[in-house]
Order: sequence, then C-alpha cells, then structure tokens
Amino acid sequence: MLVHIETIFRNLNGWGLPVIMLLVGIIEFAYGLYENHWTKNEKVLDIVCFVVPKIVVRPFVAYVGLLLFPHLLPDAKNAFAWVPFWWGFAIIAVADDLTQYWYHRLHHQLPWLWRFHRTHHSAPYMGMAMASRQNIIYTIFFSQIYLTTTLVYLGLGYPVLFVTGVKALITTGAHSSIKWDKPFYTIKWLKPVGWVMERLISTPATHHAHHADTSDDGVGYYKGNFGNMFFIWDLIFGTGIITRQYPSGYGIKHYKQEEWYAQFMWPIFKSKKEGSELAANGPMVGDALPPEAPAVVAGS
Amino acid sequence: MKTPVVTQKRILRDAVISIFIYALPVVLMLLSFKISGQRPWKDKPATTIHK
Repeated sequence: MLVHIETIFRNLNGWGLPVIMLLVGIIEFAYGLYENHWTKNEKVLDIVCFVVPKIVVRPFVAYVGLLLFPHLLPDAKNAFAWVPFWWGFAIIAVADDLTQYWYHRLHHQLPWLWRFHRTHHSAPYMGMAMASRQNIIYTIFFSQIYLTTTLVYLGLGYPVLFVTGVKALITTGAHSSIKWDKPFYTIKWLKPVGWVMERLISTPATHHAHHADTSDDGVGYYKGNFGNMFFIWDLIFGTGIITRQYPSGYGIKHYKQEEWYAQFMWPIFKSKKEGSELAANGPMVGDALPPEAPAVVAGS
Repeated sequence: MKTPVVTQKRILRDAVISIFIYALPVVLMLLSFKISGQRPWKDKPATTIHK
C-alpha cells in the first residue's frame, strides 16, 4: 500500500501535477470559466510562466545545489535521515509553508517588493492558467526550491516528496476556477469538514478573495489571506478573513495589460504602457493612497 | 513609498512569533524522544555514501 502511495507522489512531483493542471485547465477553458479575459497576451504569459520554471529554474537550482553541497557540507549528507517520517513531515510542512507565507506576505506589504509579485495578481481570472504565473525574479528567489534541495541533501528527501505533493495539490486547487469547496458549505453533513478545512488550508473561497480586484463587494480581501498550503498562518497573525463566497472580479484595478515579457522579466524588461507600475518611470504601487490618507493595513 | 509604521511593527511582532512556530515541531519531536526514551539517531544511523 505504502509503495503505491509513494509511487503516486513520485509521479505527482514529476509529470503528474503538470498533467493534472493541463487537464483541469482544459476543463476550465471548455466550461468558459476564463470568460473572454484570456487574450493572446495573457495566454503567452501564462504558458511561459508554466513552462520556464519547470524546465529551467527548478532543475538548475536542484542540479547546482546537489553539486555544491558535497563540497560545502561534505559531512552533512543524510545527517538527518534518522528523523522519523511523520516528524520530518511536520517539520518540513511548517518550515516550507511558513517561509512561503512570509515570502508572499512581504511582497504585498513592502511596496518595493510588490512589482515582483504583481504578475501573479494581474490575471483578471482564476484557474490553472494563472496558477504558475509569476515574475521570473519571484520564481528564482522562491524559497521552496532551495529548502527542498537542502533537505533532500540532508536526508529528508522522503518526507519532502510527500509534503511538496500535498502542498502542490492544495495550492493549485485553491487557484482553480472550479469552486470544488462549495459542497462543503452547502451540504449539511459536510459542513463540519468545511469548517475545519477553511481554517486549516487555502480553499478557492479564501484564496479567490486574495485575488479579488476590490474589497468593496465585502468578499474580496487582497490585502490579506496570504497562506499557501495552510491558512492557519493568516489566523495566527490576523491577516486572514474567512469567506464562503467568491469575489465579483479578479485581478488589479489599475491593470494596463502590460506586455507579457515585461510582466515576466521586469525589471530586466520594462513596459511601454504609460503610467504602468512596470514602466520605466511608473509608480511603485499603482493604487497607492495619497500620503495624507490613512493606509489600510492587512489584518486590521 | 514607505511601508506604514503599523505594518512594520506587525511584521516584526509576527516574525518573532514565527521563530517559535518554526521551532515547535522540532521541540515536540525531541520531547517525544525524551518521554519515550527513543534515540533514533543512535538506533538508525544515517544512510551515507561515505563508506
């Protein structure tokens, strides 16, 4: 049994997840869930962001890391292989996801970091197409790939395999335009499960709220809900709002359909769109409030 | 554009709390070893290629 589960997760972390994303993406597209928002510019950006990290960035980091570690830390190889599986699972789940919570939160709360994460929020739709959509700098400094490579070298590769698999399923599920969590809020006997689920992990409802283009509808909460796999970080730090509804619109209000290469490669390539955050002389944050107005802080 | 002071303070406060959260599973694991008397690092030596 365990062998079968292991095989599933090995395949999931290899070719499985991209295939699942492609299949779900096709279903979303077929059902018209991207409406008329998936323009040529958005398509190119989504596809480039889906492919490049998988075939260039992650393999490169893993290769260089596993090449460097034996020289830098020759005695540390498999040093923690004795850690029991479930403890390894818990340690890695917390270390990985809390680190990503912070990486994500700081990109929203520190204005100078926002433009590295903006690409993920510029999509005016939710779904598999935009789940991998990130600026290349955000992807390169993404903590998870370095943490995973290090832990594999230290002998925790086995729990890493399962944590990354479970996490990938939860985070891609939270981005899906298929509102699979709805039955947990409407079917009576599933409601207790839903209550626990929406507090423990990211769901389409809570994560869609994070991708909302406004908070005026009483659902959107783009200044919070930073959790990726676990939602509990948002509850602990007061940056989360639990909702069972879905926002009226997605993306960013000041989106100017910037060129895909500018969104992918900023600040290496800049946008030619006047007034864009990604333009050479563009504002750091497009919807920044005037200095005299009090800033709304996430979690307040 | 500057980060509001209140946000800076919250970031600092939450970062300190995070240190304890990071340590929690490690501490709980060591506590469980202490209670159960297990010494897995002795019982199950690391599989290493350095033979």
